[in-house]
Amino acid sequence: MTGSLSKSIVIWTFVAASLVMLSAPTIVVLGASFTAGNMITFPPEGLSLKWYAAISQASGLRQAFFRSLYVATICTLIAIPVGTLAGIALAKYRVRFGRTIQVYLLLPFTIPLIGSGIGMMLAFGNAGLAGQLWPLGVACAVINLPFMIWAVTASASNLSPDLELAAANCGAPPLQRFLYITLPAVMPGVITGSLLMFILALNEFLVSLLLVDARNVTLPVQIYNSIRSIITPDLAAISVVFIACAAIAIAVLDRLVGLDVFLKSK
Amino acid sequence: MRPSRAAYPMRWRVMDSLERIAGLLWPRSFSAGLPYLMLLPALLLVGVLVWGLVEIGDSSLRTLDTSTFLMSENYTLANYQRALNERFFTTVAGRSLMGSLIVTVITLVFAFPYSYLMVRTPSSALRKFLLVALFLPFFIGQVVRAYGWLIILGNQGMVNEALGLVGVSPIRLLYNYPAVLFGLVQYMLPFAVLMLAPAMTAIPAELESAASSLGANWISTFRHIVLPLSKPGLVGAGLVVFTLSLTDFAIPAILGGGSQDFIANAIYDQFFRTSDQGMGATLSLLLVAVGSILVGLVFMVFGAGTLAMGGDRK
Repeated sequence: MTGSLSKSIVIWTFVAASLVMLSAPTIVVLGASFTAGNMITFPPEGLSLKWYAAISQASGLRQAFFRSLYVATICTLIAIPVGTLAGIALAKYRVRFGRTIQVYLLLPFTIPLIGSGIGMMLAFGNAGLAGQLWPLGVACAVINLPFMIWAVTASASNLSPDLELAAANCGAPPLQRFLYITLPAVMPGVITGSLLMFILALNEFLVSLLLVDARNVTLPVQIYNSIRSIITPDLAAISVVFIACAAIAIAVLDRLVGLDVFLKSK
Repeated sequence: MRPSRAAYPMRWRVMDSLERIAGLLWPRSFSAGLPYLMLLPALLLVGVLVWGLVEIGDSSLRTLDTSTFLMSENYTLANYQRALNERFFTTVAGRSLMGSLIVTVITLVFAFPYSYLMVRTPSSALRKFLLVALFLPFFIGQVVRAYGWLIILGNQGMVNEALGLVGVSPIRLLYNYPAVLFGLVQYMLPFAVLMLAPAMTAIPAELESAASSLGANWISTFRHIVLPLSKPGLVGAGLVVFTLSLTDFAIPAILGGGSQDFIANAIYDQFFRTSDQGMGATLSLLLVAVGSILVGLVFMVFGAGTLAMGGDRK
């Protein structure tokens, strides 16, 4: 970066403010989870792990967490085959009405989340699926599907059509070409995409709130319901689970594709 | 002579039979249809959304009969009339639109220097740090982040406790309009930076050096070089931030405490408090329409390829 001192000062002031805004809630939740007091106070009343012990005893929170894991697993299991096939098809072939299909597949992003959620709530309700957990997994797969397709098509550019032709020339039939040539080439995209799908489904709040009834809540909804009454440190401890998941996801993502990929211009 | 087992190993046998099954299910003469077959599951999955929209459309044309609490059998446009005329809904819509506009401006002001530094810094460690700081909150989810803000800003929160130590009486920092806007800004910041960064990467650093070697100070370099060239990124980020803020539920619900409802909260209340499914569906459909127009604008500015998804590689 070139430029004067004043430029650095101005830019760094904004960036520092942004960093505080972005990180303050995370740091505070982390800190609050280790408090020894019964209330979240400032300055903290000393360190302890007692709230972690408390959440390991609280069956409500634990069950909510397992429900979230279940939903995220279903969402990922659906999104992997569906998104991979669609991504490869979009990247590899010249499809008729390709543009229309792309716009259609982007509907989950263009329709506001509350609209998608309400729509699926009415639709699943009419189909007699209301209150169950697995339709929520499907719903999460639907609303985040473009991420999966995007990740796969992005890595499908590594795939040279010559490779498949060469394999065919050596006598490999279609299925083998797909399994041994095409699939390995897009694998980084599949992993990135499924990671995104899993973590986003784990965190999904609004659609969970709309689709699931009060006895079957997922963890984000459970936290939401609890913070409306009283703020106790056990919620901070359970929130750390989300922070840990996010940190792991970022580490894996950085390892696999490098975070810098998001800076590239097309 | 007995053929050795290695000549036709198990793996090949399995593969060959799989090939044969695949060939039977989808003969070679169908191969032109293969891409469509591969797209079919995705098309069906997204079809769930279309089905949902149809259900919303259907509900929006029915009114609630307040004597029986059932939806009317016949279709009417009464809900749309109410949505556009009733004071309460126009107030909520106005508050959401105004709020999203303010949030968009503030977010862009903060996102611009952030992505500039992230793109231009020579230090890859700093770049990675800035990226991680961006992704961590993005992956943590809205509820946990809003919970963090409750701890910081609440009546017995950290800020007020700290003020108490120096003898200032507690200030009500939460459950008001600025709190919601603040929450939205920090929620939208990662989206805005990630949409701005590619546009900034596309600006050659030499242009800035050229401007400064011709005597421009950094402010005029920014005004005449960086700002105009990053306009596509700014427009895209602005539209995305505006749409997402306009339709957000969690931040107004948690940081607004029920007194600062946005459109999504009003929709939720129609369904779960008033139980007026028709009215809720009408508001949802209107919001979907506004959102689609905004995203349609993004597409018109950038082409559908930007947010997605390959297809037209050069």
